Amino acid sequence: MATTESIQTAYIDYVLTEGHEPKSVYLFAKNNDMTEEEFYRFFGSFEAVEQSVWADIVRKTVTEIKTQEVWPQYSARERALSFFYSFFELLKGSRSFAVYSFKKYARPIGTPRVLDSLKNIFESFADDILRDGLETGELTDRKFFTNKYKDALWMQFNFILKFWISDNSAGFEKTDEAIEKGINVTFDLFQRSPIDNLFDYGKFLVKNGGFKEKMGF
Amino acid sequence: MSEDKAKEQNSIPTSKVERSARFVKTGFKVGGNYIKHYSKKLFNPGLDRTELNEDNAADIYESLSELKGSALKVAQMLSMDKNILPKAYTDKFSQSQYNAPPLSGPLIVQTFKKYFGKTPEQIYDKFDLRSNNAASIGQVHQAELNGEKLAVKIQYPGVGDSISSDLKLVKPFAFRLLGMSEKELEVYMQEVEERLLEETDYELEVRRSVEISKACSAVLQHTVFPRYYPALSSKRIITMSWIEGKHLKEFLQTNPSQELRNQIGQALWDFYNYQQHELRAVHADPHPGNFLITPDGQLGIIDFGCIKEMPEDFYYPFFSLTSTNLLDNKEETIKAFRKLEMILPNDTLQQIEFYYRTYHQMISLFAKPYMSASFDFSQTAFFDELYGFGEQISRMPEFKQARGVKHFIYVNRTNFGLYNILHELKAQVKTNTYKPHVQLTY
Repeated sequence: MATTESIQTAYIDYVLTEGHEPKSVYLFAKNNDMTEEEFYRFFGSFEAVEQSVWADIVRKTVTEIKTQEVWPQYSARERALSFFYSFFELLKGSRSFAVYSFKKYARPIGTPRVLDSLKNIFESFADDILRDGLETGELTDRKFFTNKYKDALWMQFNFILKFWISDNSAGFEKTDEAIEKGINVTFDLFQRSPIDNLFDYGKFLVKNGGFKEKMGF
Repeated sequence: MSEDKAKEQNSIPTSKVERSARFVKTGFKVGGNYIKHYSKKLFNPGLDRTELNEDNAADIYESLSELKGSALKVAQMLSMDKNILPKAYTDKFSQSQYNAPPLSGPLIVQTFKKYFGKTPEQIYDKFDLRSNNAASIGQVHQAELNGEKLAVKIQYPGVGDSISSDLKLVKPFAFRLLGMSEKELEVYMQEVEERLLEETDYELEVRRSVEISKACSAVLQHTVFPRYYPALSSKRIITMSWIEGKHLKEFLQTNPSQELRNQIGQALWDFYNYQQHELRAVHADPHPGNFLITPDGQLGIIDFGCIKEMPEDFYYPFFSLTSTNLLDNKEETIKAFRKLEMILPNDTLQQIEFYYRTYHQMISLFAKPYMSASFDFSQTAFFDELYGFGEQISRMPEFKQARGVKHFIYVNRTNFGLYNILHELKAQVKTNTYKPHVQLTY
């Protein structure tokens, strides 16, 4: 009896051994002692299988980090950091597949389609931590920009994933550094910064008239 | 942004470009400080350079502490040689021995997962994610296992990588501060780089710590060492037992009795001289942050990252000079100076005579504590003379050129550091406990 996992495992094994996806669902099903129909009960296509592998890793990451004892004490920034570290630690176990799949679906601009389901889970996770961060005042609520924070994190995710794929350092230590820096910079931008104060000051000057006249405009 | 946030720094600039940018920024700031100084001087000709030096030290320190790693180490080193830098620089640099900004909690968890496959919570009964103390290339956390309090030292990732590039960046600074040429600095920079790279190897540190603390605790009194746990240590993590105690500064604030200060001073003296003369390998990092004074008046030694081994061909000529029997024999003393490259093969007769006289004077001064059975390190006169002499030498054109074998850096740092700590302790010490082994002919 096939299961989601058994199909995933068989599929990963196939693509990594052969270097390409099976010729057809029919052939793949036959080689794994199931009917084509059985396969479709779980997945609509091979791409869907790959999507699910990526999504599972991110889902597992989120569950895992939330069980950490320190999780409730973490700030939004630390939660994001924790997510990234754990995700790449888990992904290490399937690095060959990740590299294969990422390269196969790579596009010149934007994210590979194979990450679509992963993106949904990532975004809902990002939403959660950002909302908490805004509530505690750790992050600044800015008109027009607040709902873009999520996108900034997603861009970081893409960047770090690409970085990791071409990282040759022992134990992927450079990726750790990329995470520590990248996420911190991103969160620094989410926090109240001198730009906010400058903007605020500008608004004050404009509102409290006399400014233009005095400056001779 | 709050003061705290600024201190809990969130990224280490690690790529060379980023680090260079940091130094360039410092350069600008220092430049700015000069402009500030000279424009103030326009109105107040009597202004001295103290404020300028303070401004510069603060800015340099700021950029160094953001850089962490080896740059901070260099700051610590510079701060040891109080005779080289003006007071304001050293005061600010001394801070770097205590506070450097910490790393994020998740990165610590990640480091543990990488080396042990477990989170710190799974390994220890209790683990404090907030760091207590920075250790220049790492930070220290408190933990507990089976009822025992532990200190866990964790190294920043990428430290080893950035050491070489850091030193390249520091060179122009060092060159300016010490007034030496780059070519002459090379051999010393190499020595520093070697030691610093050794410090990043925590497995080596654990091995050495176990060896040295075993050798020392067998003979020395009033000295305690942490117990090391090799099974809970790795390339980037060291677990050792926690030593309860005060740092030197805090200890001195409690107004300890002369007797207690002598006891700590004696323990320090014995610790260093036993290593130098019996083990021939010495804990070469005598900055106050590496010591703790326990409530029952013992000296705790907590960091064996930097060990300087002394080869025979350096040890004998160098330490024999602490004996008047050699120093009174001009011919042999000159031979010893030659071995130590304090007198160079191409020196003219005149130069030989000059360097002989100056070095003779310097060593007689420096070796004073060794020349009697006991020494009172509280005498300010001795230190004034020492610093005064150092200052005088730094102004002599003859000493613009670097002299002496590379081993001097760490051995001098060790002994100056020791003298400085003993001076701060105002300790009276029996200096004949572990005497140098002397060789009279060369």
